[in-house]
Amino acid sequence: MKKLFNLEKIKAIAYPAFKTLMIIHFLLFFIVILVVSRWHITIPGFSIKGLYQFPNIWTFFPWVASWFNIFLTIVLITLVGNEFSFRTFRQNVIDGLSRNDLIVGKLIFIFTVAVYTFLMVLFAVIIFGLINTDGITFKMILDHSYLLLVYFIQAIGYMTLGLLFAMIFRNNALSIILFLLYFPIEGVIRLFFKQEVRRFFPLKIISNLTPRPELLTMASETSYTNAAGTSSLDFTEIGLLPEELPLGVTVIMATGYIGFFIALSLFLINRRNL
Amino acid sequence: METVLKINNLSKNYGNLQAVRNLSFEVNKGEVYGILGPNGSGKTTTLAVVLGILQANGGDFQWFGEPFTKQVRRRIGALVETPNFYPYLTLWENLKIVAEIKDAPEDDINYALGVANLLKRKHTNFGHLSLGMKQRMSMASVLIGHPEVLVLDEPTNGLDPEGFAEVRHIIQTQAKEGKTIILASHILDEVEKVCSHVAILKSGELVANGKVGELLSADETVFIQADKLDKLKELIQDSDLAAQVYMVEEDLAVVLKSIYKSTDLSKFCYEKVFPLSKIVVKKQSLEDQFLQLVK
Repeated sequence: MKKLFNLEKIKAIAYPAFKTLMIIHFLLFFIVILVVSRWHITIPGFSIKGLYQFPNIWTFFPWVASWFNIFLTIVLITLVGNEFSFRTFRQNVIDGLSRNDLIVGKLIFIFTVAVYTFLMVLFAVIIFGLINTDGITFKMILDHSYLLLVYFIQAIGYMTLGLLFAMIFRNNALSIILFLLYFPIEGVIRLFFKQEVRRFFPLKIISNLTPRPELLTMASETSYTNAAGTSSLDFTEIGLLPEELPLGVTVIMATGYIGFFIALSLFLINRRNL
Repeated sequence: METVLKINNLSKNYGNLQAVRNLSFEVNKGEVYGILGPNGSGKTTTLAVVLGILQANGGDFQWFGEPFTKQVRRRIGALVETPNFYPYLTLWENLKIVAEIKDAPEDDINYALGVANLLKRKHTNFGHLSLGMKQRMSMASVLIGHPEVLVLDEPTNGLDPEGFAEVRHIIQTQAKEGKTIILASHILDEVEKVCSHVAILKSGELVANGKVGELLSADETVFIQADKLDKLKELIQDSDLAAQVYMVEEDLAVVLKSIYKSTDLSKFCYEKVFPLSKIVVKKQSLEDQFLQLVK
């Protein structure tokens, strides 16, 4: 394991695209959360500041960070595609690695990058949460903190899907383009299925791991007055927003998909010529 | 003598194309074993299969009498086709990867770069090297971990005469140190100057193998015709007369061992009651012999 980690470290750290995309990922995340914090939106029952307070911040920051998982996946696809175009996977096997080691090495890379992004979001949550939350308690800080672990699983989910694309197409440009196209393609395919089935598609499951912050959900509800007084109209209840699976089920399904992507990548590396 | 590599009936297809068919040969410890053949004869495919980067469609192979395990791989240093390195990494970083895989100490990196005459370029990115230097870098990577066996596929590709001589010198030095070397090449001169044994491939099939001196010598070749030529071919093959026997159109070509002359062959045929209707003696060049074999 240590050997594979060292190998991936040498391969990645000196790679210019890795450094560039990781810096972009880091900057974009912090720019977005800083810019949004300066917005002033007046919607009844919704305040921007609320998103930066415990416990809502545990939902909001991973949700924002999840947009940029795409950069991490592109880094991964590029590194795997390079191995095929430089024929270094082939050389690594000649030199003594097993074919499974090649995939395990990339999984170590995925895990390391996921830990990095986990820590980045954790650091941001702690700093912004402590600054913006009044009357803070330890219980308040921990409430909903599990969502960061779910975000960690999501980052791994996107990257293992990217790994599978790179293993199938073995070409950087093709893998990245088809990976990006897969988002709208899966969306279109889902339309041909019933609502109950749509929820189980891989990208749907993985993207649902970081749910929209509750305060944003509140903003998407419309207030109306009925005989009993003021009430809210929930878009999910009237069918305008799809009803999602419980988070626990989504996590289990996502873990299953991650296992499937890894198993398929291992199958491909063992069955095909290098 | 210890067998380093044993190949049994190896076959490899690319779709409908049979690149290697029922190939069998053995390489013994200490031999410099050439795999000679024209482009497309299956040399690289054979090496790629025995190095585990291509899956065979039939047959099997063993290294050191064992299956091809991780431990076995580390006893082999190999380069197949083009030099395969990360262009954005320096030579030292690229060799660090090889050393890490082979559990070799960092000292090996400087040793290998020194042997390949690339020590001054250790901090240059691989992508910035000339083709000749890239080829020498491949030789350096093969030496990491001091493997017992070197497998080299066209190691002098793209080299100028000076580079060619340098690589040849490296191979000969390693051979003197007792290493087993398997060298695939389409260059007759390279194989003749470096190898002790050779297997000649044509269209994925083994057409001849043995000692270089016997297979590719400038000895007398006798072209004969007689009735029941197939039977006569078998008899000559079973005798001690010939280093090599093969058909050339209507004639049976017999490359005699250096201690025999055409009269010995004529006498042998007479004694076996195969009267010859034609006997032509030629002194063939090495190139002619090779071309006859792969025709």
